[in-house]
Amino acid sequence: MAIGVLALVGTRKGLFLLRGDDDRRCWRADGPLLDGWAVYHATVDARDGTIYSAANHIVYGPTVQRSDDGGKTWQRSKKISLPEWSGLTVNAAWHIEPGLPQQPGTLFLGADPGALFRSDDSGETWEPNRGILEHSTRDRWFPGAGGLCCDSIQLDPRDPRRIYVCIASAGTLRTDDGGQTWLPVNKNVAADYLGSPYGEVGQCVHKLLLHPARPERLWQQNHCGVYRSDDCGDSWERLDGNGLPSGFGFPIMIDPKDPDTAFVIPERSPEYHYSPDAQFAVYRTRDSGQTWEEMSDGLPRPAWAAVLREASASDADSLYFGTQSGSFFALADGDTWVEAARHLPPILSVEVTQWSR
Amino acid sequence: MVQVTVPSILADQAEGRRCFDIEAATVGEALRALPVADLLFNERGEWSRYLNVFVDGTDARERGGPACPLAGVHEILVIAMLSGG
Repeated sequence: MAIGVLALVGTRKGLFLLRGDDDRRCWRADGPLLDGWAVYHATVDARDGTIYSAANHIVYGPTVQRSDDGGKTWQRSKKISLPEWSGLTVNAAWHIEPGLPQQPGTLFLGADPGALFRSDDSGETWEPNRGILEHSTRDRWFPGAGGLCCDSIQLDPRDPRRIYVCIASAGTLRTDDGGQTWLPVNKNVAADYLGSPYGEVGQCVHKLLLHPARPERLWQQNHCGVYRSDDCGDSWERLDGNGLPSGFGFPIMIDPKDPDTAFVIPERSPEYHYSPDAQFAVYRTRDSGQTWEEMSDGLPRPAWAAVLREASASDADSLYFGTQSGSFFALADGDTWVEAARHLPPILSVEVTQWSR
Repeated sequence: MVQVTVPSILADQAEGRRCFDIEAATVGEALRALPVADLLFNERGEWSRYLNVFVDGTDARERGGPACPLAGVHEILVIAMLSGG
């Protein structure tokens, strides 16, 4: 049975499933599923094949929806809510991270306002993490344009007690005790918009990824630069002075086979949010961020592209991302990009998995 | 008995049903009986500010909001607020 690529493309108006052949040149789009909902993130739980979607609606609010039949039917989680004593209400569901293989039924949900939820019943119900909710630095967190969003949740595959979450703009927080306590890990990470740009918290992390083959290595695309940590976030090295046209951007991708390789999509400064000088490109480093090279073959130019923080993904063979103008790109032979779909609604999120055909 | 009609996007969340016959004393009670009640109220029990509810053609906000009595009422229409481009 041949294996292809299944991309879950969350858009402002629903979820599209794009199926690509294994050469990633021919694609078929199905959708929209969850029609009319803004799918901030959707993912397939590799443990049982369930699709989970963080689906939001300006009128009907935040939801988590799950499908165990490939998207034909959906079940809504019980209401996601924060305790009344917190004085907070859930504004949006941002990111769903399935637990480790040895944690069946466990999932994590990142939400605005700076909240982490955990489910131990396959997404039927969600409990807020009190350590995040009552964090001693919370009064120094503040929302960015996307709200106080919790959009990166990374699990250490070697230690289920160690979890990283990122909140914009609180920075990166790490727990080493399964979520009881959370340590801000933002040393050397700039927050240029603050009076004191290297504070304990207040950093605006756009996306953080842990390398599965070297879990102490983290990559981060921040509002203020691109960073790498080789010590579980205890310290960070800034990398965008080495050949990137801009340190600003939202997504970051990694090569699961090579911890030294990462990819970013630079955008012109926070005030503009589009490709610098309309030179739309992905940039790759193969030497841990010491140098960067442009990958633009197959991308349109000039183009004033904007790619959101959840709108990229990678697997062992390729890279994938979607733009706010509704184009979805995949890396095909070598370093050539293929526009696999266009004219979709604005793309909010991308994840990929394999499918059999 | 009052008939409650919801928009199509909510019907998709209720196995395709748009209309529900409900026995209730107030608008709030009727809406809370819907299978999509969790999408109409936030966790503090407040209506979405972008939600319009009409009771026999009158905006429920003018009749006490969720406390609006349903005696003699035939129809509740749930409508998402109009939005512009």
